[in-house]
Amino acid sequence: MAKIAYYPGCALNERSSHLDRSARDATLKLGFELDELDTWTCCGAVPPVSKERVMNLIAPSRILKDVRDSGRKMLITICDFCYNTLKRTNYSIKSDKTTRKRVNAFLADDTPERDYLEKDDSLWVDYEGEVKVIHLMEYLRDELGYNKITENLRRSLKGLKIAPYYGCVMLRPQNEIQLDDPENPAIIEDFITALGAQPVKYPYRTECCGAYLSVSSPDASTRLCYRILTSARKNGADAIVVSCPLCFYNLDSRQKAITESYSDFKPVPIFYFSQLLSVALGVEFGRQGFDKHYVDVTPVLERIGSSTGKEDEV
Amino acid sequence: MKRIGVFVCHCGINIAETVDVKRVAEEAMKMEGVAYAQDYIYMCSEPGQTLVREKIVEEKLDAVIIAACSPNLHESTFRTAAEEAGLNPWQCEIANIREQCSWVHTDREKATAKAIHIVATMVQKTRLNESLEPIPVSITKKALVIGGGIAGIQAALDIADSGHKVILVEKESSIGGHMAQLSETFPTLDCSQCILTPKMVAAGKHPNIELMTYSEIEEVSGYVGNFKVRIRRKAAFVDWSKCTGCGLCMEKCPAKVPSVFDRELATHGAIYVPFPQAVPNKPVIEHDSCIYFKTGKCRLCEKVCEIGAIDFEQEDRFVEEEVGAIITATGFETLPVADLAEYGAGEVPDVIDGLAFERLLSASGPTVGEVRRPSDGMVPKEIVFVQCAGSRDPERYKPYCSKICCMYTTKHALLYKHRVHDGQPYIFYIDIRTGGKGYEEFYHNAEEEEGIIYLRGKVAKIFRDGDKTVVWGTDTLTGRNIEIAADLVVLATAIVPKDSTAELVKKLRIQTGPNGFLAEAHPKLRPVESINSGFFIAGAAQGPKDIPETVAQASGAACKVISLFSRDHLEQDPAIAWVDEDLCGSCRICISVCPYDAREYDEEKGTVIVNEALCEGCGSCVAACACGATQQRNLSDSQIKSMVTASLGGE
Repeated sequence: MAKIAYYPGCALNERSSHLDRSARDATLKLGFELDELDTWTCCGAVPPVSKERVMNLIAPSRILKDVRDSGRKMLITICDFCYNTLKRTNYSIKSDKTTRKRVNAFLADDTPERDYLEKDDSLWVDYEGEVKVIHLMEYLRDELGYNKITENLRRSLKGLKIAPYYGCVMLRPQNEIQLDDPENPAIIEDFITALGAQPVKYPYRTECCGAYLSVSSPDASTRLCYRILTSARKNGADAIVVSCPLCFYNLDSRQKAITESYSDFKPVPIFYFSQLLSVALGVEFGRQGFDKHYVDVTPVLERIGSSTGKEDEV
Repeated sequence: MKRIGVFVCHCGINIAETVDVKRVAEEAMKMEGVAYAQDYIYMCSEPGQTLVREKIVEEKLDAVIIAACSPNLHESTFRTAAEEAGLNPWQCEIANIREQCSWVHTDREKATAKAIHIVATMVQKTRLNESLEPIPVSITKKALVIGGGIAGIQAALDIADSGHKVILVEKESSIGGHMAQLSETFPTLDCSQCILTPKMVAAGKHPNIELMTYSEIEEVSGYVGNFKVRIRRKAAFVDWSKCTGCGLCMEKCPAKVPSVFDRELATHGAIYVPFPQAVPNKPVIEHDSCIYFKTGKCRLCEKVCEIGAIDFEQEDRFVEEEVGAIITATGFETLPVADLAEYGAGEVPDVIDGLAFERLLSASGPTVGEVRRPSDGMVPKEIVFVQCAGSRDPERYKPYCSKICCMYTTKHALLYKHRVHDGQPYIFYIDIRTGGKGYEEFYHNAEEEEGIIYLRGKVAKIFRDGDKTVVWGTDTLTGRNIEIAADLVVLATAIVPKDSTAELVKKLRIQTGPNGFLAEAHPKLRPVESINSGFFIAGAAQGPKDIPETVAQASGAACKVISLFSRDHLEQDPAIAWVDEDLCGSCRICISVCPYDAREYDEEKGTVIVNEALCEGCGSCVAACACGATQQRNLSDSQIKSMVTASLGGE
């Protein structure tokens, strides 16, 4: 089975490990394995937008160089923030000679010696952006082909209306990410269609959920999430699918505060894209960590047809 | 030996501040062959030129060198002066010590040394310069105008009125262009059709104008005064010589084709004229939409045409024409609404562009002048106009200002108000630009008297919500976000060059600028000429512009053509390539390197020759010639060698 280098990132390693599990389950069903890097560090998450010129690029560059040095050409992430950070770092290194020089100079000079690793005496080769950073959904669309998902469906999502939510960092900035048109994207819609469900069009799919405002001014995030959720609901969505752990957190957990602030609000179940994929491919519901969701997903699960085969144990 | 005079210009302080002009003159005096040297404050002034003329006579000079500004500016001035004093004009050379020396240096000592080298270089060239005579070239006094919009029509009429023949080529079946689509025109609100159709008719009837509509330029060769043009007359599948324009075929055609002229707000048959006032008023069958061509059955039009003008067997024809000058007036398109993803990507039915709104306002349009929105025919009560949709947005769309949108959007809002009295128009704008006679007054009146709400800011997003079209924008003057649930949204989409322009300029070998608009020879002083001689440009193909400006430019281009045709023959610069036929080995490398197609193999002579009318004297063939058979007049190998030596300070 093909193994593809995989970077889980912090959220999926800890708080949202169930999302990580769903992705691993689903990819096995599709005939490839997410091969977690032996050693990895924090990707930096926020720093790609900082004004700092080098320091913010060190951690992601080290990760990317390790992948290159292990002889692999591609690195999969399933978190939008990791994807954005790693891909933009790669872009800077590839496109800007000065950045490339500075980052490599720093890395060469400051390779950490870890007592649990063998001392690396191999020749230093500058990292020049050789690794392709790829989002799992992008891999499914461009490398595997969405039709492969459709061919392997074990449960029917027919009749379910699912609203895609893109958030901010999956598609932007367009010239660096080049995944889809940030103003009028289609990648999640096409994913939903491939699963056999019906994508819902609604105007708020690319509007902000509040991101980290959730911490500093939760009210602002509550208001933004309320607008996204009600717009999706108004346009007939049974659920929303996301591909960013922070979007997931905001749209799901914030529904508690929304219910307290807005009397007309009706909760909307939120799914991570890997959960829906995993479920559609026949993995048992119990492995998805639905008990960790704030909003009950049972009404949606009840409408999903039973698995056409035996519910596999992975 | 030649007696050479050197005249060093101060150009006020432009040269004299950085270059010690007196020393340059002193040093020039010491150079071999220089019989006289003098500096003067303004050499191009009348006293300066007089000085040159007098010294040529007094000092019996055989050649002069003017050390001054770029030859682009004053070479012809001084060559004329030299000629007046009895010299051959090619015995006058310019040493550029301004653009290439004083303006780009600050160190006076080094700049002076460089200026002396520049003069020395030109002395070496001048010593060996031959006296030349201009090459006479005949002129075909017939013009080709490409594009039958208002620019092309105006240019064709002006040239035709001067007594010269004109071929007016138009891609569509009728002339008229975008102006025929407009309802009323700013700032006077006169009806566009009413002022255009007389001109269309005049162009159609003029004895000196040959209309070639439904035709495209296939190939252009030749040079100023003597172009050869191959024109494709597209198959109309209607014999226009028989057709009376009765229109019966169009009534009976069962096909439904979205009308390009009506911005797809209406349909016409597969056999159609774009609009009732078409010139010529003859229909064409659109091959890809015709039921007969698609299925092999129908031919209804043929049955109803009593005179038998329908001809399904017709094929494209090609005609060859000879012309002396070419005006390109191919006009513009607007950025497709589908390209604007944040404004609904063309998927929201009630988001239309300005030209579509013109059709809604037009008395001859699909709604007979009533403003009704496309989705359900409702009269919109709240309407949002979005300016700069794709313009002034260097990061995502076009960096430039489309120039006419501020005015036509104000006009749209005002005409809308005149038709829907209880309606509310909003205009989102970045700036209101009203440069033009009567434009500012027009805008002020609309803003103060007509109840139009102007919101300064950009629109972020447009989407459909039920039967409303929701607009999110910002009012930057109050700092508030605005949401309007509108009934109709009109985008002032960016003006862009026609797609076909890029292909056409390759055939013509003329230039375009960074945004694909035709490039003028000089942005200020030669606005209607292309840099390639014999080619002229007019209208929005050169950049966004309104009707008065387009007409003025078209008349300007026509005037240039008439002035060209007023001469008996043209004079070609003789400082071009020539071939020593005894040396030519017929390897023909020169033919492959010549960018002007000026080199050709002469079967009779057995050598490669230079077409003197085409040669621009670029020197490519001279450099490529392996046996030294090709030489450039007044830039011979021996001249260049001694010039290089002198420029490096050698003897």
